[in-house]
Amino acid sequence: MLDSTTGRPERAAALRCEGITKAFQGVHAVNGASFDVPEGQITALIGPNGAGKTTVVNILSGAMRCDSGRAFIGTTEITNRPSHTIARLGLLRTFQLSRELGGLTVLENMLVAPADQAGESFVNLLLRPGLIERQEREHAERALALLDTYGLYDHRDTRARELSGGQKKLLEIARAVMASPTILLLDEPMAGVNPALIELIGGYIVDLKEHGVTVLMIEHNLNVVEKICDYVIVLAEGRTLATGRLSELRENTDVVKAYLGEVIDAGASH
Amino acid sequence: MVYYIFTLVFFCFDYFILAMGLNIQYGEAGILNFAYIGFVAIGAYFTGVFSLPSSAGTGQHYILGLGLPFPVNLLLGGLAAMFFALIVALITLRRLRTDYLAIVLISLSLVLYDFCNNFVSLFNGADGLYNVPEPFAKAFGLTVNSFIPFFACVTAVISLLMWFVMSRVMRAPVGRTFRAIRDDEVVAAALGKNVFLMRLKAMLIGSFYAGVGGGLLIQFGGSFNPTAWLPGETFVVFAVLIVGGAGNNIGMFVGALLVETLLIHLPAFLPEIPGHPGLIEYFDNAVVGIVLMLMLWFRPQGVVPERLRRAASFGVRSGLGMLPQAPIEPAALDRP
Repeated sequence: MLDSTTGRPERAAALRCEGITKAFQGVHAVNGASFDVPEGQITALIGPNGAGKTTVVNILSGAMRCDSGRAFIGTTEITNRPSHTIARLGLLRTFQLSRELGGLTVLENMLVAPADQAGESFVNLLLRPGLIERQEREHAERALALLDTYGLYDHRDTRARELSGGQKKLLEIARAVMASPTILLLDEPMAGVNPALIELIGGYIVDLKEHGVTVLMIEHNLNVVEKICDYVIVLAEGRTLATGRLSELRENTDVVKAYLGEVIDAGASH
Repeated sequence: MVYYIFTLVFFCFDYFILAMGLNIQYGEAGILNFAYIGFVAIGAYFTGVFSLPSSAGTGQHYILGLGLPFPVNLLLGGLAAMFFALIVALITLRRLRTDYLAIVLISLSLVLYDFCNNFVSLFNGADGLYNVPEPFAKAFGLTVNSFIPFFACVTAVISLLMWFVMSRVMRAPVGRTFRAIRDDEVVAAALGKNVFLMRLKAMLIGSFYAGVGGGLLIQFGGSFNPTAWLPGETFVVFAVLIVGGAGNNIGMFVGALLVETLLIHLPAFLPEIPGHPGLIEYFDNAVVGIVLMLMLWFRPQGVVPERLRRAASFGVRSGLGMLPQAPIEPAALDRP
């Protein structure tokens, strides 16, 4: 998994950051973050609050422009390219606070996701209604099957805004999967959900890995990180502090000082 | 009496078209187009000048004057509004959102009004256009009285055709993507949707409807006067949309019937209150405003709310046992 001499992931990088920086009114949220996300693995992005994790995910997914540095999907540069272009390259994301398309049904949320839908073109609408109908039926069948897998089938006709917090988290992941991602960025997928659902979401993420999807997830729950993540990237003050397996990082004094110690202390105080 | 009834019928169907255009922009794609009446005016003006003969000797100032027959002039009027929308959208839609876009568009509406009102050599100033030929009047030997019912029926047929087209658009994936952008454009972009391009599509199709609606108005009345296109008129179409129910075309018809026909035009035909000439008409906008507030307070989804598209409507067989297992099909990484 990790090269024994270099400590870098053995697999090719599906996603690469090189010296990304981003400042908000002079305050550096990200200050030279560099890391590789190995292909076909689950990688955790951890670090204290304010380390710049979500900003990095926003930059990688095109939701935010960086001030300097470069980002790549494989060998394709994606630095400061718009979100929709990056999504079409196979990089999908979820959000820290669930962002369901509230006015649409759960099934419609899923059906928005597939790329290159014939029915998004007025020309096809006029000239190829049969193709649109066939594609819609195929997409609907796949969406319903995914909703069944994610335990949302019974809510298929419910407006997404009426789902519970945990169901919204599941819908976000299922919707991203519906877009057939090669890389999935999950921003705290376990935040605010009950332990049983954490188990369930963890299982789905492992399942995605088994289907060849590269996952980069921001996560504070170290039990989850230890259980399902192959590789860990630690960010602190906008920089990459360390990378490796969590068991190895527990021995790293810088990491313990910057984050793990803080987590352990916080855990002890509760 | 026939004249009154068919005048109401005309306004109902014409505002049905206008409301469908605004609905695709605001109700579906979330574009707060406060310059909507400007696009209606452009459609009206160009429909007029495409059908009028050359301006020489008419005592009016206008461009083109091609003397084209109906409905060619109407179609070109709609396309003119669409073209103008393209220019406006290219400038505004890429960088502006929600409130800021609305502020720019309402400013544009005011500029357009002043421009038309003062540019005499192009728009005939405050006099506007008049003596616009009545469609088919000569061919069918229509009189002033028979033209009104005839054209109200023509407008009804056109509006039903446009309703059919709009229903297909809204039901198609493009309509769903519009609604996704309306609900959360960041999410839509993160799912690979080109938000600017989709909003541009909504802007163009909505403006075509605005142009056709405006074109029918000038053909019905035979004249074009800038004072009829004051920016405030946009809010009448918004009232139709909100009362009817944003996101639903049937709601647009109900809104047009309730607001434009019953609240705005019907009172004009009521008998005057003795000693208070014109008082009823002055109350129109106040009543519309009150109805709007009541609707937003008690029934913000409108009389006919947006319909959910249920799973059964996709033609998928019911019963999960018949469905394939969830396929997760990651596309191959884009590698050279």
